[in-house]
Amino acid sequence: MPAAPRRLYPERVASPVVRVRGVVKSYGRGRGAVRVLDGVDLDVESGELVAIVGRSGSGKSTLLHLLGGLDYADEGTIAVAGERLELLDERGRTALRRRAIGFVFQSFHLLPELSGLENVLLPARLARTGTGAPARARALIDELGLGDTAARLPATLSGGEQQRLAVARALVNEPALILADEPTGNLDEESGAAVLQLLRVVADRGRAVVLVTHDPAAGDVADRTLTVRAGRLHA
Amino acid sequence: MRAALAHGLARLRRDRTRAVLAAGGIAAASAMVAAAATLVFALSTGFDRTAARAGLPEVTARFAPATVAAVATRVDSLANVRRVAYRFEVTNSAIDADGKFANGTVVGVQRGPRGYAVVSGRDVEHSGQAVVEPGLARAWHLHPGARVTLSGPGRTLTEEIVGTGIAPDSVAYPLTRNPRVYVAIGDARALGGATSAAVNSVLLWVADPSQLPVTLEQARSATFGVSQLSFVTRAGFQQLIGRAAGIVIALLVAFSLVALAAAGIMLAASSSAEVQRRREAIGILRTFGATPGHLAAGYAAEAALVAAPAAAVGIVAGWLAVGGPVRRLLDVLNELMPGAPALAGLLAACWLAVVVLVASATWFPTRGVGRRPVVDSLREADVVATPRRIPLPALVGFGARLALARPFRTAALVAVLAASMAVVLLILTIASVLNGLQQNAQTLGKRYQLVVPASPGAVARARAIPGVALAAERYETDAVDSFDLGETFRFVSYPGDIARFEAPPLSEGRRVRAPGETDVGLGLAQALGLDVGSLLAAQLPSGAEIRFRVVGIVQALRDQGLVAYVQPARLLAAGTALSTDVVITLRPHADLQTVRNAFARSGIATSRSGGIAEDSGFTGSVGRTAFLDVLATLLRSVALLDGLVCVYALAQMLALLARERRRAVAVLRAIGASRAQVLALFAGAALLVAGFATPVGIALEQFVLGPVVGALAVSYVTLSLRAGAPEVGAVVAGVALAIAVTAGWATRTATAGVIVRPLREE
Repeated sequence: MPAAPRRLYPERVASPVVRVRGVVKSYGRGRGAVRVLDGVDLDVESGELVAIVGRSGSGKSTLLHLLGGLDYADEGTIAVAGERLELLDERGRTALRRRAIGFVFQSFHLLPELSGLENVLLPARLARTGTGAPARARALIDELGLGDTAARLPATLSGGEQQRLAVARALVNEPALILADEPTGNLDEESGAAVLQLLRVVADRGRAVVLVTHDPAAGDVADRTLTVRAGRLHA
Repeated sequence: MRAALAHGLARLRRDRTRAVLAAGGIAAASAMVAAAATLVFALSTGFDRTAARAGLPEVTARFAPATVAAVATRVDSLANVRRVAYRFEVTNSAIDADGKFANGTVVGVQRGPRGYAVVSGRDVEHSGQAVVEPGLARAWHLHPGARVTLSGPGRTLTEEIVGTGIAPDSVAYPLTRNPRVYVAIGDARALGGATSAAVNSVLLWVADPSQLPVTLEQARSATFGVSQLSFVTRAGFQQLIGRAAGIVIALLVAFSLVALAAAGIMLAASSSAEVQRRREAIGILRTFGATPGHLAAGYAAEAALVAAPAAAVGIVAGWLAVGGPVRRLLDVLNELMPGAPALAGLLAACWLAVVVLVASATWFPTRGVGRRPVVDSLREADVVATPRRIPLPALVGFGARLALARPFRTAALVAVLAASMAVVLLILTIASVLNGLQQNAQTLGKRYQLVVPASPGAVARARAIPGVALAAERYETDAVDSFDLGETFRFVSYPGDIARFEAPPLSEGRRVRAPGETDVGLGLAQALGLDVGSLLAAQLPSGAEIRFRVVGIVQALRDQGLVAYVQPARLLAAGTALSTDVVITLRPHADLQTVRNAFARSGIATSRSGGIAEDSGFTGSVGRTAFLDVLATLLRSVALLDGLVCVYALAQMLALLARERRRAVAVLRAIGASRAQVLALFAGAALLVAGFATPVGIALEQFVLGPVVGALAVSYVTLSLRAGAPEVGAVVAGVALAIAVTAGWATRTATAGVIVRPLREE
């Protein structure tokens, strides 16, 4: 895939894909409680790649999990693709994830029993998105240069190949928002750079991407880099 | 070892759900072990235990009344005799207590060995005292201090009951129609109208049981002049009792052995699965210098710590589940429960076996994993490639693949489930057979539907009733083998073609065609050594002897096969008293109730032909029905335990799957899997196991367990214990329900928490 030119401003800014206001999240109870997020505000537009950095334990991944509806905020509001997460029950969140959110994890989390193609197809099968999914998955795999890996099990693939398959899996349902949690954390420098570039292209094609990372190179591909400090986001 | 043990204990503390799950599995399997062991031990040793407690003699000789001196002279000539006891027995005595009545045997006993064990109260010491058998005491609610009236040909006596005494040479009242009462020998002689020195029974205890055949040979040659002599050995009594109750005792013992094997497999599979989950930890500990032996010992010790209390709970539960029914079954067999020390020892041995099995099942695979390259363990190299295509819907197929990723565990679970299903099928089939024996005349080979009292012209009147196809008189009488008078049996007689009215399956030969021919039951053929072509010589109650040529051997269930089918001419000519009634077969499609109503309008009372419950008269039927009820209770207890094992085995597999693959489940949920889809995943895993286990279990029952247990159960009849469509359908439905319940439970467990927690675990 050729590298796309970096764009500083998204083309479409009509309504943010992600809108976060005053989000608070604590772990533990009583005196031992730790307030990891303390009034976070964030907007992410379509076509925008936002990198979130910070020290370990600062709350970056927690914010990402809250955006994906994988966890529940104590206070504040989160809207994704126009849906208020705090108003959705688990069934509604599941439906939203199928439709609008794609995940990329640090440890790839490909299912070891499924081939590369089957892993990529999995969200489409869950969402029952019809007969177009296999062709879409195949096209994604080919576009990412993973044609040889489609029939193989994840255990036989390199980390870079696995992470690119994970990106393809996140894209197969054509979601509005991609959430990437340390996607380069388990990769070498070259593979990590390729994955970051891939996410850049994804954003350039109109998707909102939120990237949580320690990788300094992320700043080169991100439209904005925000730092989590003392439970809040700082530019 | 300490590092491994510390790691294991830390896991227990941290993951209490897993610990409880493991303990629950061990408790369930232990309950099965205890139930099966209690059944096997109590039933298989019941006769010997009670015989030892009662001091049952090696030989019981019965003869026409003779003087003690005359008999003692002959007994004294025998070389191998250690002890002797003389009795005077009065059969067909009327026994009456508290308004209840039965014909039974009054046994007059002397001082010295008695051949029965007093289980409550005290023994007979002098005239006027009586000891009754426990079955009679239970049935009539008799207690020491109550009075019983005995009537015989000599006189009527009223005796005080001073205790209950048990001897395993007969089943208990009311299973047997003749209860026994022990009194002082003088009272018995008076009751029978005998002289003061008369005896008609002698009990012999031999010094060297291995020389018993020689002693019997000597006794036969030394008893010239003693008439109507018959010998019964202790082994003979055991065979007689076995014939009465052996059918289901053998089934229960066979089942228990299967259950023991299933429990063992389940425990081993569970422990082995636990080791698989620790491969990474084993790799880490090996990295830091732990030897495979240390690891195996440490984890085995931890497994034993979990197993010890769980097994104790399970053992007690298993014993509680079957202890009561087993006691009741032994009661009706006139046998004693094992003593508390023996039972405690047995259960302690079971407990130890379970703990050792669990520890061993942990020790061996841990050592195996520990000996493999450390890097394999660190990589969790046990997750293997699985079939690429499974013809199931996507998530169901994925669940099946998850199960196949642990092929050995899956195979072990298939084995457990298949064995459990086969046993449940067998139990359902046995229950169906028992029900048939109890209620269904056709099971016993009867082809008539109604019975009416015999009276002049009854047959003609019956034939005139619309819907009646055939009516004929049936005659029955007891008889005894003429050659040694040791075997009683029953003649059953119909005019003409007997098979029109009663046709048990023919095992050998042909049906009766002439008045001088007989078809004998397999039980009688075995008892008297009869073959087709042999002569059956029988003495009737009138004293007359009649002879028949054996032309066929039939698989008769009634009267344990001690039956001979003949045409009535010779019986009627012998002038003996015969039990007579008229049997009716209906035309095809005739409505039974309509025909009965027609009989009723003609003033004729009808009764339906029945199974065992209506086979032996009122008193007998009560006893047999109670016996079958006890067996049914016992079978239900065992089936319940076995069904729980099936459910537990599936639940355990899915729980292990949910825990091992929690990240995979979390990823699925993160990318949009609904609860229903997660349910499909778990159901797929369970379906895979059940899909393999169901045909294997059915085949196991059809071709192995059913035939083998059926053959074990009775030798005098071919009893089909192959499961039919209703039993198979019930088991398949049960498995489907178990899959639904366990998959639902696993889904609920796996989706209870927030998704991120498993994703954070590395």
